[in-house]
Amino acid sequence: MATEHRTSADDDADEETQLPLGISIAAAAVSAAVLLPILWLVKTGLDVGFSEAIALLTRPTTLEVFVNTAVLVTLTTAACVLIGVPLAYLTVRTNLPFRRFWTIVVSLPLVIPSYVGAFAFVSAFGPQGSFQRLLAPLGVEKIPEIYGLEGSILILTLYTYPYVYITARASLKSMDTTLIDAARTLEHDRWETFKRVTLPQIRPAVAAGALLSGLYVLADFGTPSIMRYDVFTRVIFVEFGTFGRDTATLLSLQLVAVTLFILWLEARVRGEERTTAGGRSRGVVSLGKWRYLAMGFAALVAGLALVVPVVILLSWLGTASTAVNQSLAFQWSYVTNSVVVAAAAAAVAVVAGLPVAYLSARYDGLLPTAFERVSYIGYAVPGVVLGLALVFFGSQYATPIYQTLYLLVFAYVIRFLPQSVGSLRASFLSVDPALPEAARTLGRTSVGAFRYVTLPLVAPGLFGGAALVFLTTMKELPATLLLRPSGFTTLVTHIWTAYESGYFGQAAVPALVLLFVSGLSMLVILRQEGYDVK
Amino acid sequence: MDGSDNTSRTRRRFLQAAAAAGVVGVAGCNTPGGETTETETDTAGGEETAQQIGSGRSPFGERDLSAGVSMAEMPDLEGELTLYSGRGEALVGELISFIEDRYPDFTVRPLYNSAAELVNQIITEGQNSPADVFYSVNAGSLGALADRDRTQALPQDVLDFVPSNFRDPDGSWIGTSGRARSVPYNTNTFSASDIPTSIMAFPETSAFQDQLGWAPTYSSFQAFITAMRILEGDEATRQWLTGMQELGVSQYGDEFQVARAVADGEIAAGLTNHYYIQRVLARRGTGTPLRTAFTQNDAGAVFNVAGAAVLDTADDATLASNFVRHLLSAEAQDYFARTTFEYPLVPEIEPIGRLPSIDELNPPEDIDLSQLSDLEGTIDLLRDTGVL
Repeated sequence: MATEHRTSADDDADEETQLPLGISIAAAAVSAAVLLPILWLVKTGLDVGFSEAIALLTRPTTLEVFVNTAVLVTLTTAACVLIGVPLAYLTVRTNLPFRRFWTIVVSLPLVIPSYVGAFAFVSAFGPQGSFQRLLAPLGVEKIPEIYGLEGSILILTLYTYPYVYITARASLKSMDTTLIDAARTLEHDRWETFKRVTLPQIRPAVAAGALLSGLYVLADFGTPSIMRYDVFTRVIFVEFGTFGRDTATLLSLQLVAVTLFILWLEARVRGEERTTAGGRSRGVVSLGKWRYLAMGFAALVAGLALVVPVVILLSWLGTASTAVNQSLAFQWSYVTNSVVVAAAAAAVAVVAGLPVAYLSARYDGLLPTAFERVSYIGYAVPGVVLGLALVFFGSQYATPIYQTLYLLVFAYVIRFLPQSVGSLRASFLSVDPALPEAARTLGRTSVGAFRYVTLPLVAPGLFGGAALVFLTTMKELPATLLLRPSGFTTLVTHIWTAYESGYFGQAAVPALVLLFVSGLSMLVILRQEGYDVK
Repeated sequence: MDGSDNTSRTRRRFLQAAAAAGVVGVAGCNTPGGETTETETDTAGGEETAQQIGSGRSPFGERDLSAGVSMAEMPDLEGELTLYSGRGEALVGELISFIEDRYPDFTVRPLYNSAAELVNQIITEGQNSPADVFYSVNAGSLGALADRDRTQALPQDVLDFVPSNFRDPDGSWIGTSGRARSVPYNTNTFSASDIPTSIMAFPETSAFQDQLGWAPTYSSFQAFITAMRILEGDEATRQWLTGMQELGVSQYGDEFQVARAVADGEIAAGLTNHYYIQRVLARRGTGTPLRTAFTQNDAGAVFNVAGAAVLDTADDATLASNFVRHLLSAEAQDYFARTTFEYPLVPEIEPIGRLPSIDELNPPEDIDLSQLSDLEGTIDLLRDTGVL
C-alpha cells in the first residue's frame, strides 16, 4: 500500500501520528457512503449460485475480454500521461503564446461525453464517412480503419487526457519553483531538472490523474462499443439487457476486483511522495522557436478532440426536422437543471473529499490510506450498476428521497468523489506541513491555520477537483436516467431522448448547448484561480 | 431522389450505425446483445407527428375514426399514475399528455428510460416500486416482468381489445401496437411475385445477386435472426447468412437507410421492419417505386408488439388498467398508425398506407415473442460469419 515518506517536518510532531478524531469520523462516513452500493453488489452477486458463478468467471470469453480490457486500459492511460503532462508543463511553466487560451482549450475535451466524441469520429472517419467522401474525388477509396483497438485508444485518450492535464497542472501551479532555480544553479540542464525536481513533485498528481483516466476507461461502455472493441463492460451489458441482473452484478464485482488491483498498482507507482515548502512560483521557461511546435501540439490535440465533434454536431443541426412534436422542443430549463445538479454535486464532492484527502496526505497508516482508496470504488463501477444499487437503497430504505434530486446528487458524489479527492490530495501533499505549524506558533487556531494558510495553498486543487466533478456530472447519463425525478430533464437526458428516437438534428442543439455551458463553466473555474498562489 | 436526402442519407447511415451501438452506451445497457445492438426501436416515428390526435389527418389522407372504442366511451381517469415508459418520450409523450389533459383530476408521472433498464429497475425496487404501469417497446421485457410475477392480470374486457396472439396467455400484458418484418422492393426492378415467399429461399434467388441490403447492427434484424435460429436451427441460419454474403448483400447502418436505398434504386430489395417503408412513402409520396412484400410463416415474417402491463405494485389497479385501456382506444390506435406507422392491434383500426391488414399477414406460429430478446447466441453467430 502507499508508503508515504515524509520530510523532517513530520518526524518530530507527535500529533502527526495520532489521527484527528473529527476529521477521521468525517472521512469514515464518506467511505461508508461510497461502500453502500458495493454492499448491494455483493448481496445481489451472491444470489448467483456458486457453481454458476465459477462457470461464468472462467468461460473463455471472460479471459478474452479481460485481456482486451487490460490492453486498452494500459495503453490509453499511458497515452493520456504522454499528452496530459507535456500540455500541463507547457501551459504552466513555459512562455507558450496565448497560454490562457490554450489552458482553456486543452481542458475542454473533458466536457465532451466520450460516446459523443466516438459517434463523431466514426461518422467523420468511418468507412464512407464525411472525411472519406471529401477525399473520394482525389481517388482515395479507403482510409485506415478507425474501428478496433487503435480507434478506441484514440477516442478515449482524446477525451480522458484532461484528467491528467488538470491534476498535473494544479500540481505544477502550487509547486515551489525555487527548487528548480536551485537545480539550475547546480548546473542541471532543463531536462535533468524536469526529471529530478519537477517530475517527483508532480508524480502524485500525475498518478492521480492517470488513475482517473484508467478507471474511466475500465468502466466505460459506450466508446468501446461504438468502436467495436470487445471489453469487459460488454459482457456486463449483455447480461443486463437480457434481464440477467444478478449475473451482471456479479460481473461488476469482478470489475471492482480489477479496480482494487489498479488502485494497489497506482499506490505502488506513485511511490515516494514528497512535500515541498510550497508557495513561491515565478519565472517561466522560454521556449524560443520551439514555441511554434508547442502550439502546434496543443492545437492538434484540441483540434482533433473539439473540432471533429463540433463540426459533426453542426452538420446534424442542418438535418433537424421542423415539424416534430413538443417533447423534443428545447427548453432552457434543461440548462438550469443540468447546472444546478452539477454544481450541487461539485460542492458536496469537494466538502466530502476534504477530510479524506487531508488525512491521506498528512497521515501514514492503514486507515487514511483505506479511506482514500475506497473513494475510488464508486467511480470504477459502471454508472448503470451504481444507479441500480442506489435504486435499491433508495426504494427500500430512503423512500422519502427516492426519485428526488437529493438521491441523484448523492449518486453523482459517490460516482465522482475520487476526482475531488485525487486533486485535493495532490495539493495537500505539496503544502509543507511546516507552514500551518508556523501559523499555529504565531497564535492561529488549527482551524485558523487551515483556513488562512493551508486552504489558500490547496485552492488550485480544490477548484480543479470541483471543476472535474462539475463537468463530469454535466455529462453523466445512466445514473441520471435511473434516479431522476419524474419530469426532470437535463441536457444529457434530452440528448438521449432525441437520439433514441432517431432525431439527430434535435440532439445537436442540446449537445452544442452542453458544450457551450460546460466551456463557460470551465472559464469561470479557471478565472477563480486568480485566488491562487502567486 | 432529391439531393438533400442523398447527403443526409450517407451521413446518417454511419451516424446511425454509431448511434445504434452508442445509444446503448448512453443509456448504459438498454438492449441485449451489447455493443453491436441498436436500441430496440423507437425510431419508428415519422417526421409528421404534428397532426392532432383524433383528427384523422395523416400523410396518406383523411382517415375515418368511427371504428373502435373512443376514449369518450371509456371510464374517466382520476388520480395519480406512475408510468415507466420504455417507449421514447419523443414518440408517445404527446399521446400521454393528450390522455392526461382529457381529465382534470388525472396526473401521469412518466419516467422514460430504455425498456431493459426499467425492467431491472422494477425488479430492484421490489415491492416498494412506485410504478403502476410499464409500457414497453417489445414483448420480451413485458414477459420478463410477468415471469417474475411482477404483473397483475388485466381485466378480460381490456384483453378482448386485441386478438389472443398479441397478448400474454395469462393476461399479464397486452400488445398495443405492432411491427412486422418485411421485404421492401423497388417496383422498377421487381414485381410482387418476384419476391420469394420463403426467407430461406433468398440466398438461392439469383435475381437478388448484388441487389439486396440489410442492417445487421439493428436489434430488430437480430431478433429476426434469433427467430430463424429457433425455427430452422443454428446450422441452417449459418448457411443462410453465408449464402446472403455470397449474394453480395450491402450493409447499411439502419433499416431506414435500407428502405431509402431501395426507393432510390441503389439496391432492389432489402430486409426491414415494415414502418420504415411507410416513412419513406410518407415523405416522398406514394408515387415512389417502393412497395412492401412479406414472407410467409417464417422468421422473415415475425410480428413483434409494443405493449403494456399493470404492475403488482400498482396503487390503484383499476386506474392502471383503465389507462392501458386508453392505449387501446380508437384515438390511440390511430395515433400509432399515423405517427409511428405501426400496426394498430385493435382489428377495427386499419393500418396506414398501402399495408395489408393484420389478418392478411402470415407470421410464424411457433414463436414465443419473448424469446426474441435473447440475442447473445445470435451476436456470436453474426460475428462468426463475419456479418458483424
